[in-house]
Amino acid sequence: MKCEECEVLIEEYADGALDQKSAGPVREHLASCTACTAFHQEWTREQEIYSRYQRDVEVTPLLWSSIEARIKQERGGAREGMLARLRIKLGGLFAGPRFSPAFAGALVVIAIALTVVVMTLLNSKNQRELLARAERNGSAPAASSDDGNPSVEAPTPEVAPKAPETGSTVASNGGGETAPKKVPAAKLVAARPTPDQLVREAEQKYLAAISMLSRDVKRHRSQLDPIMLARFDAALGDIDRTIKDTRRVVNENPGDPIALQYLLAAYSKKVDALREMTAGSEN
Amino acid sequence: MMEAISLVGQSSGRVGTLMNSSEELIARARRGEDEAFRLIFDRYGRPVISFIYDMVGQRDLAEELTQETFVRAYKNLNNMRDETKLSTWLFGIAKNVARESLRYKHRETDKVGIDDDRVIELSDGKLPPDRQLLDKELSGVIKDALGALDEDKRVVFTLKVFQQRSYEEIAQITGSSIPKLKTDLHRARAEMRRRIKPYLGVGYEV
Repeated sequence: MKCEECEVLIEEYADGALDQKSAGPVREHLASCTACTAFHQEWTREQEIYSRYQRDVEVTPLLWSSIEARIKQERGGAREGMLARLRIKLGGLFAGPRFSPAFAGALVVIAIALTVVVMTLLNSKNQRELLARAERNGSAPAASSDDGNPSVEAPTPEVAPKAPETGSTVASNGGGETAPKKVPAAKLVAARPTPDQLVREAEQKYLAAISMLSRDVKRHRSQLDPIMLARFDAALGDIDRTIKDTRRVVNENPGDPIALQYLLAAYSKKVDALREMTAGSEN
Repeated sequence: MMEAISLVGQSSGRVGTLMNSSEELIARARRGEDEAFRLIFDRYGRPVISFIYDMVGQRDLAEELTQETFVRAYKNLNNMRDETKLSTWLFGIAKNVARESLRYKHRETDKVGIDDDRVIELSDGKLPPDRQLLDKELSGVIKDALGALDEDKRVVFTLKVFQQRSYEEIAQITGSSIPKLKTDLHRARAEMRRRIKPYLGVGYEV
């Protein structure tokens, strides 16, 4: 190897970046060339000098505190930003040309009434199904009232598929009796729903209503005016995106009342739209 | 091995820092565990701030840019593609942050590395000439020499010489090809050598 070739490779050799095949000739050349050996030694001294480089900077606890504060600020800002976007989106849905304020107000009333009616019907249907199932299985329905009367007004978390039923279900006496036993008071206290459970229950009710209305709309889609249908589909697309966004915010901030409010408002809006579609198909 | 040695005499929290893999820390930080991100900072804060300091030459600015680097990293955790290369990814962010700052500084017609009080003080020759002082003075010279390199060379030189990164890692951090990196590094070393040459003589030999 010539000195010129060695000069090209000597830095990589000293860095340890050369493979064995390339490093061998450099090593051999250094063993026989005083000029290149001197350069190699100077290079080594340089590295030692660089290793003594003292920087006028340190990682301090204050630095982490500043980073932590900014992360919290960013996180809060992101959440606020998302809520602001949702406000605009929801505001747009309510104030857009599709629904006049008066009509929107009327729809809200209708939606609430409709939701109550739908849920009553659903509960009644569920109760009947549960009773029938209980008769078949020899167990009582999950959410019967204390006096054993499966009234439709009784709290009925069974609409929510995830709701655990074992806590309040009382096994029959083995004789095929359908009436449930009295649930101990302590169990009732323990089973008192939390705000989160109530929201989930409300969400499930909205989902049930939406599911029922969607089936109805699907059956009657062909009867809708195509332009009106396209407008409704666009509105439903917006609402679904809003629901998705608000659901994500609620998942990230389960205790945030504003986020929950927006989520339920978005569901309510979807019920409104579907109800409007149903009404449109009937006209 | 180095990590195992460095554990001796350190607090259990610090030991915990070193026992967590990068992938694990990233996964935990992505799930919103603030503690995991703090451990990432504990592990990489020092090399990152050193690198940024070498790039910008000012302590306050280096601290500010390190802060910005870790905030950006936190915000982009979900965009990281290879969790095994956390340090490479962090250095990449730090490089971008430092460069943005330098470009802003250039617009402000500021200069890197010559406004440091310590260097001026040492140039006055008022401090006693012991070894520690020589090291400090040499550090001032190195700092000035770094500040005189152009940005590309400074990045490569700092990452290779001070942060001991491989060519492949530097290529990932900078987005440059390895042949260009080698050329830049060779030139940077030559420029640095020229500037520190007077200090390679008596008194600095080891």
